[in-house]
Amino acid sequence: MMRNFNEVVSKPPRVCEDYWTEFRHCKSLRNRFHHYYTYGAMPSCQQWNEDHNNCKQWEMHRSPEAKEALQKSERNRVAEQKNFTPVWQLRQEPPRDWHMPLNQEKPQDS
Amino acid sequence: MRTFPNYTMDQTKQEEECGGLCALGPYAKLLLGAMKNSGCKVFKERHFSCEDCSGTVSGGFDAASSQIVLCQNNIHQQSHMNRVVTHELIHSFDHCRAHVDWFNNLRHLACSEIRAANLSGDCSFINEVSRLNFGLKEHHQECVRGRALRSILAVRKISREEAEKIVDEVFDSCFNDHAPFGRIPHSKEDAKFAYRDYMNKDRYYANL
Repeated sequence: MMRNFNEVVSKPPRVCEDYWTEFRHCKSLRNRFHHYYTYGAMPSCQQWNEDHNNCKQWEMHRSPEAKEALQKSERNRVAEQKNFTPVWQLRQEPPRDWHMPLNQEKPQDS
Repeated sequence: MRTFPNYTMDQTKQEEECGGLCALGPYAKLLLGAMKNSGCKVFKERHFSCEDCSGTVSGGFDAASSQIVLCQNNIHQQSHMNRVVTHELIHSFDHCRAHVDWFNNLRHLACSEIRAANLSGDCSFINEVSRLNFGLKEHHQECVRGRALRSILAVRKISREEAEKIVDEVFDSCFNDHAPFGRIPHSKEDAKFAYRDYMNKDRYYANL
């Protein structure tokens, strides 16, 4: 089969199975407990279920609506994870001395 | 006294990736992968130091030498060691990916301590109960605040009030910074899910 390298084959951000396992994990007693322990409320899990359905629709029927909905949901998740103002500036490169050999001095406890 | 796992003749590729540190669990595995990705590959011999420490300190991160110090006289269980390593790896990760001014900027120090307490499992319900801290609703946050405060006061000569003020200032930002986990891992299972996401991130970001 000749492969057309110009064609971008899109696929769901995660394998569909992952949405299902996340949904089940979210609803588990253990996770509900942890969520209450952290946020004082129950987690909302329905989105994972929806994402799973949309993923299947995308995979099996190439549904553009399902694809759009799933991508929107995931972009939302990414935005939620970034929803804070960083206290520090991120580096462009790792620290120069990370790999440098140790000198004779013993390091102090920090 | 816990020691690092030894290399064996038939190392798996995963072990190679972790530099022999995989046995420290899924939290450490993810952090080691993230650090390698950020240009700070961790080498057991170079970046870890086992020492006898004063008091009850379990470990520390020494930015001056880029080393994680493990207090061998104060760590007696594998689970404790795993948690200390995770905690210190979070500091190392912050050092690697951000301009953290450990020595002069208390807000930076507080932020990394909040993150380490939040993401390492330090504040799990079970750990808190074992410390006789019985709390449930939103207790995790209370624990994170308290432990960050303790850590700051252990290394800086400032008043409790001043330390509390700094923790308050940066808490919202730093409590919500879950890098590299993408979530607060409350259990090994959470950490495994987070690790799965991390290994999938190229596909993930390419298909948003």
